[in-house]
Amino acid sequence: MDTLDEKEVAITARNISKKFHITEDSHNTVKQRLFRMFNPPHSKIVDALKLMSFEVKKGECFGLIGRNGSGKSTLVRMLAGVYPTDTGYVKINGSTMLMNLGVGMSHELTARENIYVSGSVLGLKIKDIDLIFDQIVDFAELKDFIDTKIKFFSSGMLARLGFSIAVNAGADIMFLDEIFAVGDIKFQEKAIKIFEKSWIEQKTVVLISHNMDVIKNYCQRVGYIKNGNMEYIGEPETAINMYLVDNQ
Amino acid sequence: MVLKILKDWSGGTNKLERFWLLAKIEFKLRYYENTLGLIWALVKPVSDMLIYYIAFDLIMKSGFPQFVSFLFLGLILWNFFVESSTGTIQVLATKKYLYEYTNMNKIEIYLAIIGSNLIGLFFNLCMFFIYFVLFEKKDEAGIPAHISWQCIFLLPLIFNLAILSLAFSLILSTLYIFAKDISQIWAIVIGLAFWISPIIYKPEVFNNSLPGFNYINPISSIIINARSVIMFHRLPDWNLFGWGFIYATFFLLIGLYLLNTLGAKAAEKL
Repeated sequence: MDTLDEKEVAITARNISKKFHITEDSHNTVKQRLFRMFNPPHSKIVDALKLMSFEVKKGECFGLIGRNGSGKSTLVRMLAGVYPTDTGYVKINGSTMLMNLGVGMSHELTARENIYVSGSVLGLKIKDIDLIFDQIVDFAELKDFIDTKIKFFSSGMLARLGFSIAVNAGADIMFLDEIFAVGDIKFQEKAIKIFEKSWIEQKTVVLISHNMDVIKNYCQRVGYIKNGNMEYIGEPETAINMYLVDNQ
Repeated sequence: MVLKILKDWSGGTNKLERFWLLAKIEFKLRYYENTLGLIWALVKPVSDMLIYYIAFDLIMKSGFPQFVSFLFLGLILWNFFVESSTGTIQVLATKKYLYEYTNMNKIEIYLAIIGSNLIGLFFNLCMFFIYFVLFEKKDEAGIPAHISWQCIFLLPLIFNLAILSLAFSLILSTLYIFAKDISQIWAIVIGLAFWISPIIYKPEVFNNSLPGFNYINPISSIIINARSVIMFHRLPDWNLFGWGFIYATFFLLIGLYLLNTLGAKAAEKL
């Protein structure tokens, strides 16, 4: 694999791998640990991700495809720094944001507070959040509920707010895990437009999707994962063909 | 890790703003949710003081001058430690939304909670000083209660308390990932620690009954020295002062180690 100039690289993953230890029972209290010291519960080791190395360039849209359970979401969580790696290391050059059906929000806070907290966590200063605040609220179509605690929101409202924060605040590196399943058709159209305008052109994006049209349209390179193994990284067409063959 | 964050705060990042925002929201969640709102933050210490006055001055007639202030100051500091340790055991679960989607450093969450508790401590200390100066009786020498320059030493003592509380918060919340019943165990420890700390005892009674405990119990030095500088207008006992910081640093190092090892698995285990 070619090694890129460090300044051009957004993410470097070197010899990373991940195993999950799955036990029969939860076994997570001091009492259980003491009582079962000499009779530990049976545990199973699952090779979630096998040894792999690759880089994602700055400004690149990098696709990840593979069947359900292949390890895409685990890989994205490791790249985003949410899960630690068992081996090797991940070097991230910038702030990251992982998004699946929304971003991290507290249900005890109002929409307004969540916007400020999320924006701040993503690295924005308060005065920058002030500037994009109305944009976020308008895009999420939540003007009348801005001071309502989000625990009273419907799932659609929550998803719109999360998406809107992500779109307007963003991070240097965005990990998007099946994000186009958010909201109704009208909102999805809006989401795709904004995705093209502000993310594809300006950010480093790692995109997980089962929609091969989305992958083909936006990604410059695609990684194909099968059973935790990175089988291929390169041309989108080739990766998609491998995925389609695997699905037959 | 803590040094890196302090460096970031002094640089051009938004981390100092974020610390303040998270601390304010944490404080608001604790007090504004009540019907009395922010007033509760002031009513609580006033009502506590009234209860101590009725119990220890009017009914039990403790015979110890300024006992209400003596007790209240000890309890304010003790409660800060309890709230910061017991109250944060599940923090990695309840604040998961802050670190599960971004690469924000988890230590910032802990610092914000300590910051929020410091706001509460500030309110409590304000109430204490108002009571102490305006309502407290004269001391044994017949001198009215007053504030002296030695009070300045309260600042390093609060800093010591904050580090110690942060350390235990880190230790307990990371152990919680793998031992969910740590809160029950800690409740027993903290219950015992209350009675072997110089909170409700007169100093000579504590020293005679538990000799050497001032040095063994990490929070003793803070309480003893805080009373010395505020109520008795003395300099801190420097030996205890030094031990206080040694304990706090020692436990903080353990806490940071656990955060980097066990805490790194919080997102996948919780």
